[in-house]
Amino acid sequence: MRERLASALLLVALLAGWEAWCRLGRVPALIVPAPSSVFATLWGEIASGRLLPHLAVTATEMTLGLALGCAVGLATGVLLAEAPVLRRLLHPYIVASQVVPKLALGPLFIIWFGFGLTPTIVITALICFFPLMENTLTGLSQVDSGRRELFRMLGASRLQTLLRLKLPGALPVILAGFRVAVVLALVGAVVGEFIGGRAGLGASIIAAQSVMDSSLMFGGCCCATI
Amino acid sequence: MSTEAPPDAFVAIEAVDFGYGAEAIVDAVDWAIPRGAFHCLVGRSGSGKTTLLKLAAGLLAPQRGLVRIDGVPLDGPGPRIGFVFQQPTLLDWLSVLDNVLLPLSLKRSLQEADRETARALLERVGLSAFAARHPAQLSGGQQSRVAVARALITQPALLLLDEPFAALDALTREELQDDLAALWALQATTVLFVTHDIGEAVYLADRVAIMAGGKLHHDLAIDLPRPRSRAMRYGPAFNALCRELRQAMDAAP
Ligand SMILES: Nc1ncnc2c1ncn2[C@@H]1O[C@H](COP(=O)(O)OP(=O)(O)OP(=O)(O)O)[C@@H](O)[C@H]1O
Ligand SMILES: [Mg+2]
Repeated sequence: MRERLASALLLVALLAGWEAWCRLGRVPALIVPAPSSVFATLWGEIASGRLLPHLAVTATEMTLGLALGCAVGLATGVLLAEAPVLRRLLHPYIVASQVVPKLALGPLFIIWFGFGLTPTIVITALICFFPLMENTLTGLSQVDSGRRELFRMLGASRLQTLLRLKLPGALPVILAGFRVAVVLALVGAVVGEFIGGRAGLGASIIAAQSVMDSSLMFGGCCCATI
Repeated sequence: MSTEAPPDAFVAIEAVDFGYGAEAIVDAVDWAIPRGAFHCLVGRSGSGKTTLLKLAAGLLAPQRGLVRIDGVPLDGPGPRIGFVFQQPTLLDWLSVLDNVLLPLSLKRSLQEADRETARALLERVGLSAFAARHPAQLSGGQQSRVAVARALITQPALLLLDEPFAALDALTREELQDDLAALWALQATTVLFVTHDIGEAVYLADRVAIMAGGKLHHDLAIDLPRPRSRAMRYGPAFNALCRELRQAMDAAP
């Protein structure tokens, strides 16, 4: 409770500092708008109902991308953990493929899938795939050998060992991967919209940039953070 | 020991060798356990007791020699063998009751009767109040007792125990020894029990073997009457057997 209060106070102090700096330091509003004007713009956008559709679009992209990426990541992780041959064959390439900046593939996806939700969803999914796959793989291979011996002793089948020992045992590690994926999904969705989106938070930030509305750009970022 | 396995042996370990790499961990071991007998294996840490037990369970395959269960060569772990590992190896995400039921639930769907059996077993090991808890909320000794109950639930024909009571205090250990002896008398199970406690071996066993450096060095028939009572632990016959075992262990290299 104490810590909660302290961190809330810190936020208020930071905002107050920002406001004071903008007003006293005469920072041009184009570069850094004061928080008061950011909130005013944001409120205007919400009240006029212009922001909510964008928010819905981003949320949809993020959810679909996250679900797709996590499902494929989990399945690949399980497959690679259970089939050591596949693992030796594919794992190095999958790791190497992560070096490719996935956002740079955006324009390519626009050519493939057209404008709209699909390219952003695919980018988000690609970004979420890796943490899930890697954590699933690590978690499944870390199951302690004593317990594996127990399941062997009890005559458990391979599927039973996977479902009743390895996956529950690896769950904390898999969930850690999932949390990373959630954060990355938002980044993926917003930045994906920078490239090819017509709607969504990222797209509204870009639109705001074209009319030099810094308050709205900051507002979009705040929304994304929340 | 090169005693030829008698024909009625339930477990026959025949000239078994096992090693990791070049080093022999179990070296030409011969051992026979008659049906329904209770045998103990004592030895220093690192003498290969756990390894021999895993060979008898089919968890490890001998590099030479053969293990027979009921006359049939063993080629892997089977449902007739119960194993209590040196570590309790419980599943953290299951309750104590579900941990005890695990061997059954891997075979078939559970009935209410199974839960009753599990509760009765937990009662026997003094944990009936802990059925709904999770293993992390138990003490080390309580966890070992859950592991014993889990091995008993399938009513195995052969029960292999690897120092199951090592983490317990002396009083609880004596109680559980009595419980195990009673269960064994009831269920006609064949038992091979590994321990480093000479008194425990003499109290429980029909026969005790000493293991040192991967070999069986000495074996001793325990002809104390059954059922054995606590008072017996302080009797002269008991102490003479303990002394003899102790001297044999000291004499082993
Ligand atoms: N997986 C393994 N790889 C290599 N060596 C092993 C392995 N497991 C056991 N050993 C070696 O085998 C020897 C016998 O081990 P084992 O576990 O059978 O001993 P133990 O008699 O059960 O000892 P303790 O009383 O301490 O449990 C030890 O020297 C150990 O270092
Ligand atoms: Mg051992």
